[in-house]
Amino acid sequence: MSENPFEHNLLTHKLCKIADHDELPQGKTQVAAVNGREVLLCHTAEGYFAVDNLCSHAAARLCDGKLKGHRVLCPMHGGSFDVRDGVALSRPATAPIRTYQLLVNEQGIFVSLPDEAT
Amino acid sequence: MTKTVDPSPGAARASGPSIADTLARDAIAPPAPILQSQYEFLGDDDIPVERYTSHAYMQREMNELWPRVWQWVCREEHIPDVGDTYVYDIGRHSVVVVRSAQDTVQAFHNVCTHRGTRLFEREGCGYSGGFTCPFHGWSWHLDGSIDTIPGRWDFPHATEQTHALRPVRCDTWGGFVFVNLDNAAAPLERQLDVLPQHFAHFPLERRRIKLHVQKRLPANWKAAQEAFMEAYHNFATHDAPNGGNTQYDIFGKFVSRFIHNIGSYSPQSLEDYPGDKWRRPALTEQEQLQMLSVFGLSSDCVPEGDTARNVAAAELRRRLGEALGTDLSGVSECMMLDSIEYHLFPNMFLFPGVNVPMVYRFRPDGDRVDHCLFDLLLLEMLPEGTPHPVPPEPVFLDVDDSYTQVQALGWLAPVYDQDTDNLMLQQKGLSSAAKSGVTLGNYQEARIRRMHMTLNEYITPPESQP
Repeated sequence: MSENPFEHNLLTHKLCKIADHDELPQGKTQVAAVNGREVLLCHTAEGYFAVDNLCSHAAARLCDGKLKGHRVLCPMHGGSFDVRDGVALSRPATAPIRTYQLLVNEQGIFVSLPDEAT
Repeated sequence: MTKTVDPSPGAARASGPSIADTLARDAIAPPAPILQSQYEFLGDDDIPVERYTSHAYMQREMNELWPRVWQWVCREEHIPDVGDTYVYDIGRHSVVVVRSAQDTVQAFHNVCTHRGTRLFEREGCGYSGGFTCPFHGWSWHLDGSIDTIPGRWDFPHATEQTHALRPVRCDTWGGFVFVNLDNAAAPLERQLDVLPQHFAHFPLERRRIKLHVQKRLPANWKAAQEAFMEAYHNFATHDAPNGGNTQYDIFGKFVSRFIHNIGSYSPQSLEDYPGDKWRRPALTEQEQLQMLSVFGLSSDCVPEGDTARNVAAAELRRRLGEALGTDLSGVSECMMLDSIEYHLFPNMFLFPGVNVPMVYRFRPDGDRVDHCLFDLLLLEMLPEGTPHPVPPEPVFLDVDDSYTQVQALGWLAPVYDQDTDNLMLQQKGLSSAAKSGVTLGNYQEARIRRMHMTLNEYITPPESQP
C-alpha cells in the first residue's frame, strides 16, 4: 500500500483542486472556498502553502491583507502569521491559524482537508 | 623614494602614486564629484575611551543624539502600497513608517497614546489597514487620526488634538526613508549636504535590494563603524596591499568619504610597513589581476602595456552589463572597481560603485553599550523601466555567526569576519581602561575625528549638565 498520505483522500474524494499550477504569481495569495470554509493559498519563494483565511484574532479575512515573504499580514490590526506552520508572529494575534496539506503537480494545486472540516 | 614631507600637521601623505594619479591614468574618467578632494587638519587629541564603554555616555546619546538626528529607516520599496509599514527601533525609541496614501509616507512614534504600549512589537515590514493597540484596542487610521476608542464614554478628555498618534518627521532621498524624532530639527537636506550633488550620477532610487544582512557585532556602534571608515587596517587585518594610499575627504560636518583603488596599489605607500611583502618585489600587473579572481573573472592575462585594472573593468562592464540589463560601456574604471565609501552622520554608509555596491548602518543594540546592530545591504542597479521587486527579508546573524553562512556575500564574507574579530578584541581592550584615549592618524583616520566633532555638537559635556 502506498505511503502517500494523499492517496486515501484521492480515493475518498477529499482532495480538492484550488488552483492551476501556474495561476498564482509568487508573492501573491488567492482564496478558495472548499467544503464551506475559505482556504488561503500563498505562493512564497519557498513554494505553496495553504492556511485558514480568517485571522485568529478578530476573524478578518487574510485575503484582504498582504503576503510578505513567508508571513501573511492581517488587514484589520496588522497581526501576522507564518504561512508555513500557521504560528502567530505578531500581536494582536496570538493563536495560530490552521494550515493545510497541499499536493502540487502538473494537474494543479490540491488541498487536503482534515476529516472534521468536511 | 620618499616624498618631501610637509611639516604642518595633517599635510603628510603616503609615498608613491596617489588615488588621483591612478584615476588620471584610467581609460575612462570618473564623474566629477569623484575627482574632488577636500581635507583639513582637525586636531590630534585622543578620543576619550568612555565614549565606547560608558553607559552614562550612551544614555546621553540616547537622550541627545538619536532623538535629534536624521536616520534612515528603510527603502521606499519596503512600503510600496497604502497600508505597508516599517517599524524601526533605535535604542529605546521606536518609530513606525507607513505609506498612508499612494503618494504620502508618514511616520509616528510606535506608542499608544492611551497608556504607552508599543503598537508593533517587532522591527521590520508589515501591512495593516490601520493601527491598533493590542492592550485595550484603541485604533488609529493610517494618517494617525483616531479611529476607535472602545468605551468612548469614559474618555471625553481624549480628543484628536490630544490622542492622535504622535507624528515623527519623515522625508525621503535616493529611495531611502529617513526620520527625525525632533520636530524642530533642520530639514534633511542640511544633513545630506553634498550627497544629492555627489550622487546625481548614481541615482540610488534606481537600485534594488539584492541582499539584506543584519548582524549583531561585539562592539560599541561607533567603534564598529569606525572600523569601516579607514582602509589603514587593510594590510594588517585583511592581508591586502591597497590601503596605504587611500584618499580621505571631509565634506563638512555630516559627510565624509574614502576612495581606495582595487586592481592597483602603491608599493611605495607601504615603505615603512613590516617585511617586504607587496614591496620587494612589487606585484606585477599579472599578479594583481590574479588577486581579482574573487570577482569571478575569466580573464587571466594582462596584455603587454595594459593594466590589471583595465582588464578587470572591461570584463566586469561586459558581464555585469549583461546580467543587469544595463549598458556599462561608458562607466569608468573607478566606478566599476573601486571602493568609494561615503559616510553620512551619524551612521549611514553609501557606496556608489557597480561591483562594490553596499549600504551600511550601525546603531546601538537596545541599551547595550558594547554591542551594536550592523545592517548591510547590497544594492543592485535596476534596468530602466523595471519596477522594484519585493525586497528580500533580512538574514540575521548573531555575534558568533560567520558571514560565510550567507552565500550571496561571496568574497566579502571572510573580509567581514576578519573585521568582526578585530571589533571583539578592540571592545575588550577599550573596556580594560589601560589608556584613557583612542589615538587617530591625522589623515587616514580624520573621518573618525570629524564624526566625533559632529557628535560633540549634539552631546552636552558632563560639566555643562545641570
